[in-house]
Amino acid sequence: MLKIENLHVKLADENREILKGLSLTVKPGEVHAIMGPNGSGKSTLSYVLAGREGYEVTEGSVTYNGKDVLALEPNERAALGLFLAFQYPIEIPGVQTMQFLRVALNSQRKARGEKELAIPEFMRFVKERAARLNISQDMLKRPVNVGFSGGEKKRAEILQMAVLEPSLCILDETDSGLDIDALKVVAEGVNALRSPDRAMIVITHYQRLLDHIVPDVVHVLSGGRIVKTGGKELALELEKNGYADYAEKAA
Amino acid sequence: MSTALQFTAAEQALGVSLPHRRMEDWRWTDLRRAITKPYAPTKVAAVTRDVDRLLAASPFAKIAKARVVFVNGALDEAHSKLSGLDISKNVATPKVVDPLVDLNAKLHPHGLTLNFAGQAEQLVEIIHIATNAAPRAIGLHNAITVADGASASIIETYLGEGDYVLNAITSITLGNGAHLDRLKLQNDAAAATHLSQVIYDLGENARLNDVSVTVGAALTRQNGNCHFNGENAEAKISGAYLQRGKQHVDTRLVVEHRVPHCTSRELFKCVMDDNARGIFQGKVIVARDAQKTDGKQSSHALLLSENAEFDAKPELEIYADDVVCGHGATSGDLNHDHLFYLKSRGVPEAEAKSLLIAAFVGEAFDMVANDEVRDALASIAQHWVVRG
Repeated sequence: MLKIENLHVKLADENREILKGLSLTVKPGEVHAIMGPNGSGKSTLSYVLAGREGYEVTEGSVTYNGKDVLALEPNERAALGLFLAFQYPIEIPGVQTMQFLRVALNSQRKARGEKELAIPEFMRFVKERAARLNISQDMLKRPVNVGFSGGEKKRAEILQMAVLEPSLCILDETDSGLDIDALKVVAEGVNALRSPDRAMIVITHYQRLLDHIVPDVVHVLSGGRIVKTGGKELALELEKNGYADYAEKAA
Repeated sequence: MSTALQFTAAEQALGVSLPHRRMEDWRWTDLRRAITKPYAPTKVAAVTRDVDRLLAASPFAKIAKARVVFVNGALDEAHSKLSGLDISKNVATPKVVDPLVDLNAKLHPHGLTLNFAGQAEQLVEIIHIATNAAPRAIGLHNAITVADGASASIIETYLGEGDYVLNAITSITLGNGAHLDRLKLQNDAAAATHLSQVIYDLGENARLNDVSVTVGAALTRQNGNCHFNGENAEAKISGAYLQRGKQHVDTRLVVEHRVPHCTSRELFKCVMDDNARGIFQGKVIVARDAQKTDGKQSSHALLLSENAEFDAKPELEIYADDVVCGHGATSGDLNHDHLFYLKSRGVPEAEAKSLLIAAFVGEAFDMVANDEVRDALASIAQHWVVRG
């Protein structure tokens, strides 16, 4: 499904390499956790996959179902089924959340040659999913993420995921800034989306989130490369011993 | 003899000297240079088919129940829907001194006074249409009075085809406790020059919500004069520019706080593309006795091209010592994080941009109380799509 090979990435306006030969293969239905210390390149990986400006791929490739992801615009990647849940969701004043969801969904459907959803059908579709995430009608009427609390923003990201139904979800530090109750709601929302044909990459610094979203594979990212891969027990080991061992390896 | 003392061909045709860049209020909009053809006031008969087509082009055609239709400067009763309106044919002379007022007098304008004494039950559209004909100058002067305690909701729409100079004055008087919602939509012909002036006189406890949307015309100059004559009145004046190509729009708004305890809010959201140029000149004058005045003005520009330009000239002239007054101005490009976020959700770039542009100007429409009208304005903004 997703195949990253020997990916090298540097910041476009600095001569500093952040990813230094990262390789990763994700198959449908799998949940991969990527753990690593601050500065190891976790967020860079998620932004490069989503297509954010400011990064330069100097070597390597990323394919998704055989398509060259790096050659596509962010919206084309989204239409293919890639979704990034942002660590810091962006506030967009003046664009109502409901309108945003509708434009996004219909844009993707159009790009895939599917029929756009009519408004009443769409409203039902969203309300049902919003209710499961404790998202009120009032929140849907407010501008995208504007004035939302940290927890509300993360729930709104998961709602977008539930509405857009991507085939690959990348969750970038979705646990940051959440208390335990909010974390549970978000994790339940994510788990509800687990399915045999949908893969997930959960990027996190802490093991905590992985108690609730149990991964199939855990990778340790350090110094811009994956330095160890294991089962879910690897996350527990990291929680106990920290990243010190791996930091040395990368150096 | 200095050439400045000689009338240009345009000035001869119009019968007045036009304001020029050496006059401080007109430094960005030199009408003497901009108006080059001898536009003269000329009566033009219109073909019904053209009138029907232009009338149907108003976004408010189905929303406004009452309609006052002017075609080429003259009242068109056949196309108007005047039932329930209190109208008189006399229009009092404007009380301000301004080159645009002088020009208006020379154009022998037609117009009406609309009197509102009850509560706003229907939306009234005052629409001016210019049909395609030889280049000419058109004058219009309407007045609106809202009696003590009364309320009204009006829309002024300007549409047209061809090449003309339109000079439209609206004099508005709000009695004590009166309430007026006014919207002005200017979508004049691409070659047109739109010169307008609105004059407000507000009584005690009056409430004014004014929104102007400037889309059309090659050159727009709109003057506003807002006078607080009674205490505890409030005026909210907002505007939106949607301009591209070589369009030029200049708003000069003067708010005079003559009495204490009044509140004024000005908010202009200006979208400029290509080589368009936008100007906002806002002046707030607070008289010596006008204590506890609360006056704020702000203008924000979204520049979609490197050649687009926006100039803001805020002025505060304060003679009282216990007031809260402020101004702010910003200009910038579309926010790249906003764009990326929308694109990452599958929205193509052009659509993402138009969504953000509509959201930007949308703030100027927030106070439009009528949902259908607000939706119509949002739709105008959304369809004003950025050309690649």
